[in-house]
Amino acid sequence: MSLDLVAAGTVAAMVAVATLRAATPIVFASLGGLISELAGCINVALEGVMLVAAFAGVITSAYSGLWFPDAPLWLHPWLGCAAGLLAGTALAGLLAVFHLELGADLIVAGIGLNILAQGLTVLLMAHLTGDKGSTASLTSFALPNLRWPELGDVPVLGALLNGDGGAGHNVLVYGALAATGLIAWTLRHTVFGLRLRAAGENAEAALAAGLAVKRLRYAGLLLSGLLASGGGVFLGMGYLTLFQADMAAGRGYLALAAVFLGGRRPLGTVVAALVFGGATVIAARLGLLAVPAEVVFMIPPLVTIAALVLVKQHQRLAARRRAAAGRATLLSS
Amino acid sequence: MRGAARALMLMVMAMLALAGARAADGQPARVAFFVNGALGDKSFFDSAARGLRQAEADLHLATRTIEGGYDPTRWESGLVDLADSGDFPIIVTGTYTMGPLVQKVAPDYPDVTFILFDGVVDYAHCACGNVYSMRFRQNEGGYLAGVLAAGLVRAGAIPGTAPSGGPGVVGLVGAMPIPVINDFAAGYGAGAQDAAPGITVLRQFANSFSDPATGKEIAKAQYGQGASVIFQVAGATGQGVIEAAEETGRYVIGVDSDQAALYRASSPRRAARILTSVMKNVDAAILRALRLWQQGRLPLGRTESLGLKEGAIGLADNPAAALTVPPAVRAAVAAARQGIIDGTLTVPTAFPGGRP
Repeated sequence: MSLDLVAAGTVAAMVAVATLRAATPIVFASLGGLISELAGCINVALEGVMLVAAFAGVITSAYSGLWFPDAPLWLHPWLGCAAGLLAGTALAGLLAVFHLELGADLIVAGIGLNILAQGLTVLLMAHLTGDKGSTASLTSFALPNLRWPELGDVPVLGALLNGDGGAGHNVLVYGALAATGLIAWTLRHTVFGLRLRAAGENAEAALAAGLAVKRLRYAGLLLSGLLASGGGVFLGMGYLTLFQADMAAGRGYLALAAVFLGGRRPLGTVVAALVFGGATVIAARLGLLAVPAEVVFMIPPLVTIAALVLVKQHQRLAARRRAAAGRATLLSS
Repeated sequence: MRGAARALMLMVMAMLALAGARAADGQPARVAFFVNGALGDKSFFDSAARGLRQAEADLHLATRTIEGGYDPTRWESGLVDLADSGDFPIIVTGTYTMGPLVQKVAPDYPDVTFILFDGVVDYAHCACGNVYSMRFRQNEGGYLAGVLAAGLVRAGAIPGTAPSGGPGVVGLVGAMPIPVINDFAAGYGAGAQDAAPGITVLRQFANSFSDPATGKEIAKAQYGQGASVIFQVAGATGQGVIEAAEETGRYVIGVDSDQAALYRASSPRRAARILTSVMKNVDAAILRALRLWQQGRLPLGRTESLGLKEGAIGLADNPAAALTVPPAVRAAVAAARQGIIDGTLTVPTAFPGGRP
């Protein structure tokens, strides 16, 4: 009986681990989307940022290995990670300049940058490796995994903490969890968070209150670039150890959906990202059942649409109730 | 002024006539290869491009590759542009998606020859006397992969997954449930069942040709469910399957090109996990078609079916993984191959109505 329980717990832990792994890139990107949305200029270029970051990370780590063969092995992935974060943030900075300085439409510029990222990464890859598909011909490096060997024998918990095969979780999986907490806390409990939200909620009022709205929006977009880059670096140097053309595969757009599905709140956004990650994992585990994969891959968009409708409906009802209450107060007074 | 314009026009016409004359004598014939996607998939299109490069070297043809991108709405206009330009007496294109488009475009350009690989046009319903199509019997390659995978499981050759009573598990990761991939899968399933009756064949699609992360997730799930070997038929998505094989210490069978060769230099550990690859020798088939065309012997207006017997399908040799395969399993694969070539063994296909 208890053996069964442990076995079931282990299976559940495996699914949880896989969900966490699959959701990490979306969590990073959706946090980025959230912070830019709250600053009043949502970063539509999350997909492009992820691609550029993954590409820069993988290529830098590979070339670091070629250029500094005597350097310690742990150095190459971290150099790649730094380059990826830098490159992705720079792309977001480009969007900020286009929108905030040159007055370009946010959506159009963002989509433009996504298309640019798609083409640019392939162009550079073809130039550097002579290959338009992936960097499989290069030896690139992955960021390290963190393991807890002393907990390996504890049932369920060991499986949860050490992942399948006891290989542990990539350091960026922990990074995503830490980023979630940090962003939630910053937005809620710091002056910067308050000002950022004010700049997004009502720019004129914020300006009148003496806030540097433009600078706050720069901060929002650059931070969103940094966060989404974390997701991109994880894709290329954690989840996989190669760059593949278009490897973000729509995760940046899913992240945008997660922001709204989560009601523009940190925790809600992350839960939504986990739902999207979970949908991939469930789809991957239905091999034994005769459920067509297309049906399962339809879950994220369907959940998003349903949730958006429900949230809107709820808001409308709440507004009507408030209005009715207000009218009642007016009449009675 | 008008005279000058007319003189200019005459000059242009004369130049065009000269150019045309030159193309007729001495200049190499120009071949266009229209890719409905992009090169760099490490398998199918890259193999076709290799065939065209070979044709350039061996047959002294001038080839040009046009990448149409992944947007299907641009493929038809791309094909029409090529045919309409008049620059290319012969256009090569492939995949089942392009079949209907070629069927639509070809009758309007009777002077252009179309070579359609891995796809067919419906000759009964179109005036396609200028189209030669070839389809591949990839189910035969899939069958050999199934015999190999299930043979290894049955022989207990893969450490850690020795069958404990049960007949074992093998997996297949596909990109999308389209006819060609289903055909690979039909052969794979049949081969596995024949080699180890009662074996479980997991089958899962990633819903994308270019999402290696999802490919890896699916492969990890299948290895987690006990699969010892996975046959990946998923284009670039399959690179994730190969990574999962390296991580879990299990095995994978590649597709279309020799995928072990790809990793031999950059990641030998990964290469050692690739038992073999089911080769679809698109390159050789295209080279053969172009050679026939040059000799004026290309059987236009009909479909040819190419398989193991014609050398269009085969298994790649990966020396790094050769030790994993016991001689008995190797012999079983060779016997199945011979049976298919002799016609004593019929492999089920996913195409309705079987083969032409």
